[in-house]
Amino acid sequence: MPTESKAAPASLAARPQWFEGFVGQFLALLGSLAIAVILGSILIVAYGESPLEVYSSILEASLGTVDGIGYVLAIATPLIFSALAVAVCFKGGMFNIGVEGQYLVAMVTAAWAALELGFLPGPLLVTAVLAAAMLGGMVWAAIPAILKVKTGAHEVVTTIMLNGIAVSLLAWAINFPLRIGERPGGQNVDLRTDQFPDGALIGDIGEFFGVTPGAHLSWLLFLAIAAAVLVWFLIRRMRLGYEARAVGSSPGSAKAGGISIGATQLKLFLISGALAGLVGMQQILADKGHLPQNYIVALGFTGIAVAFLGQNNPIGIVFAAILWGILSRGEVALQIQSEVPREFIIILQGILILSVVITYQIAKRRLAARQLQRAGEAGALEDSAAPEESSEPREPAHEGTEAFQPTNERDG
Amino acid sequence: MPFTDIAVAVQISFTYFTIIYLTGLGGLFSERSGIVNIGLEGLMIVGTVSGAFGARFFTDTLELGQPWGPLLGLLLGALFGALFAGVHAVATVTFRIDHIVSGVVINLVAVGLARFLSYAFFDGQSTQSDPGGPHLDRLDIPGLSSLPGGIGRAFSGLSPVVLIAALMVVPAWYALNRLRWGLRLRSCGENPEAARSLGVSVPRYRYQGVMLSGALAGMSGAFLASEVIGNWREGQTLGLGFISLAALILSNWNPVRLMFFAWLFGFAVAIPLRLNDAPVISALPPQFIRMIPYVVTIVAIAGFVGRVRPPAAAGRAYEGGGGS
Repeated sequence: MPTESKAAPASLAARPQWFEGFVGQFLALLGSLAIAVILGSILIVAYGESPLEVYSSILEASLGTVDGIGYVLAIATPLIFSALAVAVCFKGGMFNIGVEGQYLVAMVTAAWAALELGFLPGPLLVTAVLAAAMLGGMVWAAIPAILKVKTGAHEVVTTIMLNGIAVSLLAWAINFPLRIGERPGGQNVDLRTDQFPDGALIGDIGEFFGVTPGAHLSWLLFLAIAAAVLVWFLIRRMRLGYEARAVGSSPGSAKAGGISIGATQLKLFLISGALAGLVGMQQILADKGHLPQNYIVALGFTGIAVAFLGQNNPIGIVFAAILWGILSRGEVALQIQSEVPREFIIILQGILILSVVITYQIAKRRLAARQLQRAGEAGALEDSAAPEESSEPREPAHEGTEAFQPTNERDG
Repeated sequence: MPFTDIAVAVQISFTYFTIIYLTGLGGLFSERSGIVNIGLEGLMIVGTVSGAFGARFFTDTLELGQPWGPLLGLLLGALFGALFAGVHAVATVTFRIDHIVSGVVINLVAVGLARFLSYAFFDGQSTQSDPGGPHLDRLDIPGLSSLPGGIGRAFSGLSPVVLIAALMVVPAWYALNRLRWGLRLRSCGENPEAARSLGVSVPRYRYQGVMLSGALAGMSGAFLASEVIGNWREGQTLGLGFISLAALILSNWNPVRLMFFAWLFGFAVAIPLRLNDAPVISALPPQFIRMIPYVVTIVAIAGFVGRVRPPAAAGRAYEGGGGS
């Protein structure tokens, strides 16, 4: 690192904190990627294949062609929304496991808007549909938030239960109120909604880049990236973001500082729900054009994994979603070209999350220890009789690096 | 509606009681040792696939027959559950990761792991196994099963595991409250610093608590797949691990009270399966009936959560060393 050579030896303070935090995060990610690749290689060898060939076929299928990149970005689009939704709550020390249910409900409200508000002109209609989706997600997210604030019911249990309810709600919607109209000739096989009017659909951008229309790459990708920037701004530059981080890292001090914990948690959950509402839009507005019975599930759960991978940093999440897209696209290559079952990718993704979570935790602890040590050195210069730091310090609330784990209320 | 329907619903509720009680008991040992375990669902999932495989493997391939084949299948589910819970233990005890984060990761990874395992177990079938796997011979509870007026129906044709799970309350209560092991385990969950000062190795007890929770949740999953459904299917746990967690919270982390709440939630699960033509319920669309167990769980959790007290140190990382 060039900055290091200029700095005087043994003077840690010469490196700015944010830089150290950034390098620490990057090294942690690199380290956990290496662990996942190595463990994955062992598995590949066990299947009697060459790791080099398998990995290069994954990369070839995902990044080797323009179409491949298009597919990767289309897979990443909903994951960005869903991981952002998880991250927003995480900043406030809460776990929104209900993104799954929130986007299912949002698909229902969006489908309703698309079918009922068809009289609106094009751009207005698609805006209304997206607004309906966000509203649906917010309503479904408000339930666990209010229950948490009013009764103390833990959001992990309530959101999981609401996910189960949302599945049935969607099934009811496409069975009764939004069921496809009668078709002549008894061709009424599929259980789904009617096709949405064209004005409600989201345009394909693949053609501008020479990507096959089959990838369904849409301008929702730009909306997702814009959402990431907005969330970054919210967390880093706005009052609510500051309050969220205060509540997430130390509810006691936040309360003493005059922050209403309940109000902050409710607001965060609503924002999270709005983001979650957009998760399903790639599927119904850019791909299908209707709400089908066999919709893609688990985008909300995958969002949790992507949020971990991106370390709950909005910009990190965009890259993490793309990395996830590369791996998912790689499944296709495995199926065609190798003896390794496609489920290998899921195992690789699992190993990756586990090693990321553990590596970050270790990196964060070392960074915190180093900062304490530095604070100790600075103190020692001013006052040589400064008390010694204990050998294993408690982690400071949040300094330098992004606080990865919420230090919740139980953490004394 | 005929009276026997209620009896059958009660019989089904006993089956789901077994699943919820075993898993909840697992969560109890983990949380009493101070490790919050929301990975119960994931541990169950791993139990379902390995249990379904084990029942076939021991019964048909090794030709052990009744009752050893299905029983060993259940134990294989427990073994895989315990091993997988080891990941949670390493993450939370050794690396001191946030317990909720680790639990969520366990649940995420379990889905993929189950698919991967089933690919290896069931000749490349990754989302479900062939139906009709072996299970233990059904049991009529003597005396109760011959009750008149159709009531006996509730106590006949049960899997013997139902009885085993119900009787499990005795050793569980005894181990927690009367054995030195249980007292030490609980002290790790209430006040690890004090436990350590008395020479108790906090990490060792926490490892034991978490692995035991994996074994019980894994066995519960194996019971669900091989005894209740008869084959492995992706997503067959249907959030029962989380319902168990809710029952555990409502029971105030007490194995005796857990029996009641496990049965209550078991009954809620049985309603959409059997009581869908009961007077009020039949007026609802079928999709709404399927929501009942989840709604019951939310209402129960929201109504009772302020009145229970979790183990004081549950969820808190213990910074101390290995103890003695």
